[in-house]
Amino acid sequence: MTDGAELDPVIHAQARLRVVSALSVLREDDQVTFPRLQDSLRMTAGNLSVHLRKLEDAGYVEVTKTHQGRTPATFVRLTRRGRLAFEEYQEALRALLNPAPISEEKL
Amino acid sequence: MEPTDDDEPLGNPADSLALIERERANLVRDIAPDPRLMYGSWGIAWLLGFGLLFLRFGPDGKVFVDLPEWLPLTVLSLLFIAAGVITGVTGARSAMQTRGPSSRQGLMYGLSWSIAFTGMGVLFGQFGDVLPDDRLGLLWAGGLVALTGALHMAGGAIWDDRELFILGAWTSAINVAGIIAGPGWHSLIVAIAGGGGMLVAGLLGWLRRR
Repeated sequence: MTDGAELDPVIHAQARLRVVSALSVLREDDQVTFPRLQDSLRMTAGNLSVHLRKLEDAGYVEVTKTHQGRTPATFVRLTRRGRLAFEEYQEALRALLNPAPISEEKL
Repeated sequence: MEPTDDDEPLGNPADSLALIERERANLVRDIAPDPRLMYGSWGIAWLLGFGLLFLRFGPDGKVFVDLPEWLPLTVLSLLFIAAGVITGVTGARSAMQTRGPSSRQGLMYGLSWSIAFTGMGVLFGQFGDVLPDDRLGLLWAGGLVALTGALHMAGGAIWDDRELFILGAWTSAINVAGIIAGPGWHSLIVAIAGGGGMLVAGLLGWLRRR
């Protein structure tokens, strides 16, 4: 069966795939607030933070802490690298669903 | 505290692709303003406001319902203020969920409406004592509907939104039809076809994101 050996391990985890999928909706250079993202993903703040940290370490997302007036605000965006990784991951999934001829795959 | 199972991959690529689509749709829905509020509030304002105008100030001075003369314009103004506040607040709240080029585009688009309508109001205000009442009403209503149609078409161009463009083109077309038909008829056409068009747009937008 498909064990995902060739799939990107950073976004292969279900939670991080969900995070990256949601962020992929944003246009390049657009950022979403942490609470909105958390709400949309139905994750706890702690859980989302953990996964964002791992994605940040991989260079896939950028987390910006700033202030809106006096209240602190955190914004999240998908980096170019993250978008590329996400697209490649989707390609890999589609390839698993519709495998190319074996002779080509072995080359 | 942290669930461990969400660190696991899904077993099946088809499930993963479905999950991707679901999360994408969720965030689109969560950051876009509710179309029922954005279009519905204006649809109702046009339907009721212009509907009352038609009933009181019909074609050739016909009075279908003997309402006080001040009532239709007062109701129309209040409905427009309410719709403006609803769409302004809804749009601003939506824009605050994100930061970046899209959010700036939304802000500039929202400001375009306020600035354009202010300019139109100042201009038309100069003609209050020059034109007969029915012509003056047609000038205001026709200008307002024309500008609304133009801004909806521009919105369609900005966001590559075919439905918004069609709504704007439709609004512009029925406006011309109403203007040619004359005072009274214009109110009826704008109430039903214009207000109705916006209600349909709000309904379609809402059905798609459910």
